[in-house]
Amino acid sequence: MLDFFMSFAKWLQTTWWAVDISSSLWAYPFVQLTHFAGLSLWIGTSFALDLRLVGLGKKDPTGAELARALFVWNWVGFGTAITGGFLLFSAAATKYIPNPAFEIKLGVLIPLALIVHIVVQRKALAWGATREVQIAGRIAGLIEMVLWLCVITAAVSIPSFEIH
Amino acid sequence: MHQLLIHFCALLEHNSIIVALSDSVVFYELLELLHFTGFFLLVGTIAILDLRAMGVASRKQGLAALAKQLFPWMWLGLLLTLASGFLMFAGDATDFALASLFRVKLLVIALAFIVGLIMQWNAPRWGRMEAIPFGAKLLAFVSLVLWVGAILAAVEVPAISGVG
Repeated sequence: MLDFFMSFAKWLQTTWWAVDISSSLWAYPFVQLTHFAGLSLWIGTSFALDLRLVGLGKKDPTGAELARALFVWNWVGFGTAITGGFLLFSAAATKYIPNPAFEIKLGVLIPLALIVHIVVQRKALAWGATREVQIAGRIAGLIEMVLWLCVITAAVSIPSFEIH
Repeated sequence: MHQLLIHFCALLEHNSIIVALSDSVVFYELLELLHFTGFFLLVGTIAILDLRAMGVASRKQGLAALAKQLFPWMWLGLLLTLASGFLMFAGDATDFALASLFRVKLLVIALAFIVGLIMQWNAPRWGRMEAIPFGAKLLAFVSLVLWVGAILAAVEVPAISGVG
């Protein structure tokens, strides 16, 4: 399994975009910018809805209205973030594959958080139909925030698990 | 003035608490978690308000209510980002203070912050109008550009100046 991923990673590093990113001084920061700008939209809008569901936000708009209002740009953020993330990964794929923090981030935490996010976003229309959010919505919003905080924690601990 | 700044930076990075904290990998990663989460929240929520004011996001949701809902999270995000950012700065204060890109980053953030304040003051008034004035849309666009610029400057600091 690891062999398969490693050969994929080796191939990825030889693609033109990976070579371009890793051989240019200015390209790498621009790819980072893409990743972080996307994440700002994605996490910012996701947390705004979660906080509203948990009950910490203002009562107006309702959770349902907020879910609808943020939907499009929430997913624009996600698309931008994974594009940037994929490019960052491409530039140093063989370094990321054996890194346990990266494995947990991408293999466990992101899929889990993403599933919870989709459920929260869909269910928010019912949970947040009135000004007071149903208890299930409040718990789900909290769970989603905790999961994304775990994702970010795994992400920032990637450097300390690097094998030299 | 310059001497005073360098003196202050030296005091900061030799402070025994700062030294102890900077030596801890776990603490540094906690700061990174707070810094990233904070700026995602900050930039994500202000970007949505900018896009809403420009007329390209959440058009069914009034600007005034959306602004009331999101501005508290913007300020919370700013607080988290500044507090964690200051502690990260403190550990390498002199290097950061001398890096011209880091100064550019702070300047861009200061400008974006001022634009954000003007937006917050005026959002209720703009929201009540039949159509959002052109000046408001322009200001929102400037805000968006400044925040993208802030992220770009931030990722360029380690890439070009080699600090952080």
